[in-house]
Amino acid sequence: MSLSTPKSDWRAGIERRLTRTREFVHDTDPEALGVVLVSMGSLLAAFVGFLLASPWTAVPLGTFLIGTGYGWARHQALVARAVTFAMTTVTLVTLGLIVVFIFAESIPAFRYETASAFGVSVPGLGMFAQARWDAVSEPVRYSLLPMIHGTVMVTTIATLVAAPLGVAAALFIAEIAPPRVRELVKPGIEILAGIPSIVYGFIGFTVINPWASDAFALNGGSTYLFVGMVVGLMALPTVVSVAEDALTSVPDVMKNGSLALGATDWQSMTSITLPAAFSGVSAAVLLGVGRAIGETMAATVMLAGVPRISEPLVNVFYGYETLTSLIARGYGSANGVHESALFAAGVVLFVTVLCLSVASQYIEARMRRRLGGAE
Amino acid sequence: MSRDSGRQADAVSRRKYLLTSAAVGVAGLAGCSGNSGDGGDGGDGGDGGDGSDGSDEGSNSMSSGSSGPATVTAEGSSTVYPISNKGSSYWNSNSPASDGEYWGSNDEGSVAGWDQIDTDQNIADYFASLYGFETTGERSNPPFATRVALSHSGTGCEAVRDGLVDIGNSSGPITAELDISEDQRDENYVDHVVGRDGQPVFVSQSIYDSGVEQLTGDQIRGIYQGDITNWSDVGGPDQEIYVVGRAEGSGTDTSFRLNMLGDADAPMDVDTRLGQNQQVQQVLQDNDNAIGYMALAFSGSGIQAIAIDFEGTVYRPDPDAENTIFDSEYPLNRDLHMYTRINEETPDGTDMREAAFLNMFLTDFGQKTFVEDVNYITLPTSDIEAEREKLPDQA
Repeated sequence: MSLSTPKSDWRAGIERRLTRTREFVHDTDPEALGVVLVSMGSLLAAFVGFLLASPWTAVPLGTFLIGTGYGWARHQALVARAVTFAMTTVTLVTLGLIVVFIFAESIPAFRYETASAFGVSVPGLGMFAQARWDAVSEPVRYSLLPMIHGTVMVTTIATLVAAPLGVAAALFIAEIAPPRVRELVKPGIEILAGIPSIVYGFIGFTVINPWASDAFALNGGSTYLFVGMVVGLMALPTVVSVAEDALTSVPDVMKNGSLALGATDWQSMTSITLPAAFSGVSAAVLLGVGRAIGETMAATVMLAGVPRISEPLVNVFYGYETLTSLIARGYGSANGVHESALFAAGVVLFVTVLCLSVASQYIEARMRRRLGGAE
Repeated sequence: MSRDSGRQADAVSRRKYLLTSAAVGVAGLAGCSGNSGDGGDGGDGGDGGDGSDGSDEGSNSMSSGSSGPATVTAEGSSTVYPISNKGSSYWNSNSPASDGEYWGSNDEGSVAGWDQIDTDQNIADYFASLYGFETTGERSNPPFATRVALSHSGTGCEAVRDGLVDIGNSSGPITAELDISEDQRDENYVDHVVGRDGQPVFVSQSIYDSGVEQLTGDQIRGIYQGDITNWSDVGGPDQEIYVVGRAEGSGTDTSFRLNMLGDADAPMDVDTRLGQNQQVQQVLQDNDNAIGYMALAFSGSGIQAIAIDFEGTVYRPDPDAENTIFDSEYPLNRDLHMYTRINEETPDGTDMREAAFLNMFLTDFGQKTFVEDVNYITLPTSDIEAEREKLPDQA
């Protein structure tokens, strides 16, 4: 077996699967099988009908509901397997449709912003090779660079706020706080996550912006600095709760061993708990960063809404526009290529957040491996 | 996907599409009625016109849930919203003629323009019966309901284009909002102007107090195009100018560029762009060096409208002055539009339900109550006559 070529291995795999399927079909009640086939088939038909915007979509959907309802009463185990599988597929298909839609809608903008590099014309290159965004007056250009710069500024500042505060708070809750304090503080932090972002934005717009305008003698009060700080506060609960989970998941034996060797609490925290939970804490920070990138309301309300790059690049006392606020501000009055350019901003956001989420999943998986299956 | 503006040009294929989708929709309704999404669209509106005697309304396919004509739906600009929404609220209340405050007259007073109306009917009953709808005679139960949603000019125009609502409210011309030609507009839409909106230029109180009470058109152009950046250049204190613009491509932005800067595509150089009138008001109050423009309805304390000198004529924010910012000659005034869609069922573009509702705004009562009372500018008599001509004949 071990000498067999990959090709025959692959064939054997399929054969094994076929045999197993045949056995499964043979062993199962044909009526149950029929019910599952009918209900899954009609769900598929309903999906096709939905895509074609057919008025008959209700018929297969009804068949699915009736079939599943009947099957649930008669052959629960098998139907439950099929339904849970179908629901998972629905989730993934929804994601897929959204991705396809965003990408398809952004195509005109990418095509409009075609620029040539080394004699090859690359669609969308113009969005990243020059810095002019003006959707109305000539020359109409849709550069995303100013917004990418704004998003990077806001996210960086937000991370500088959320990461140290979040990790410190997580350490306190997980390691230092007496149980009674922990019971009070933890729900408190979770409530912080429940405050709608427009509330932060409104406070920023009516209190922080006017104050910043006076205190720093700015022309108008929009600054990446304060938007970043507000967004950092909003990302804080995410960082705290994920980092706290990571810290509590460090096995007690490791800490106890350190304490038994005569290390103080603080020494075991810094040299045992934190390094052991390092991957989880980083994942927490990355999730917080993802939250900060996607934050829309506060940024839209507090920023000036003029796509420009601050001078010099790292000057945090300007506040122009981020990718999310560009979309939020522009969707109502945009049409044609302008609207498509907003979708292009969505594509950039989507790809960025996807990369971050993959990175944090990878880090989490690594943490699990290193700590031998600790949850 | 249907937003492709190229489709606009091909009116024939679009009509075919509309016809087919209407047929499919009826087929679908036969199977499952009570589809509320279809209740409000323009296609069904045509049935309201056919069945104007009102008695057989319940039997045709448009009875989506309740009996009687479908709700008139409107959506769009936040600038038109106060007019549209106040009208809708009055309509839905269907106040009796004895109310005195909202409709009709009694011992304590009568509504504006009542001497021209003088009826015993309730408000919505009166206006609906002019177009042949059956009256209910009950408070809070109009012959058909009206509903107004708040979004943006562009969204309102798209919604009326796609048949999602009956009336699209817009503060900019639909040609600019949807990027279509005037021929396409005349072929597909009817433009009902219900009032005028001045776009006065406001400055922060402290700028006004230090002597900037009037600017010339050229100075404002200079400020909004980045040539003038300090108040001392226009006779004010030595302070930077905080220039407040409006959301890129919005109705307010487009009409300001067109009327003040000379071209709908004119370049601008502003410090911030804000979407809502309320935000402009807030920012002008919060900063002591700001200039902005917004609907007259949002003037308040802490900000001052300034006079503007256009080629020798000074338009003042004072209603008693010789030339005022309320005049229709004031270049920053713009029409407030309610667009309806021309399609197979309504070749005139306005069906009976829409006409009954829109006609309410084109009376002395409507102009005073829904336009002037929310700080907009009423239409002169000749314009009202012209607007009435666009509506179908009364019953």
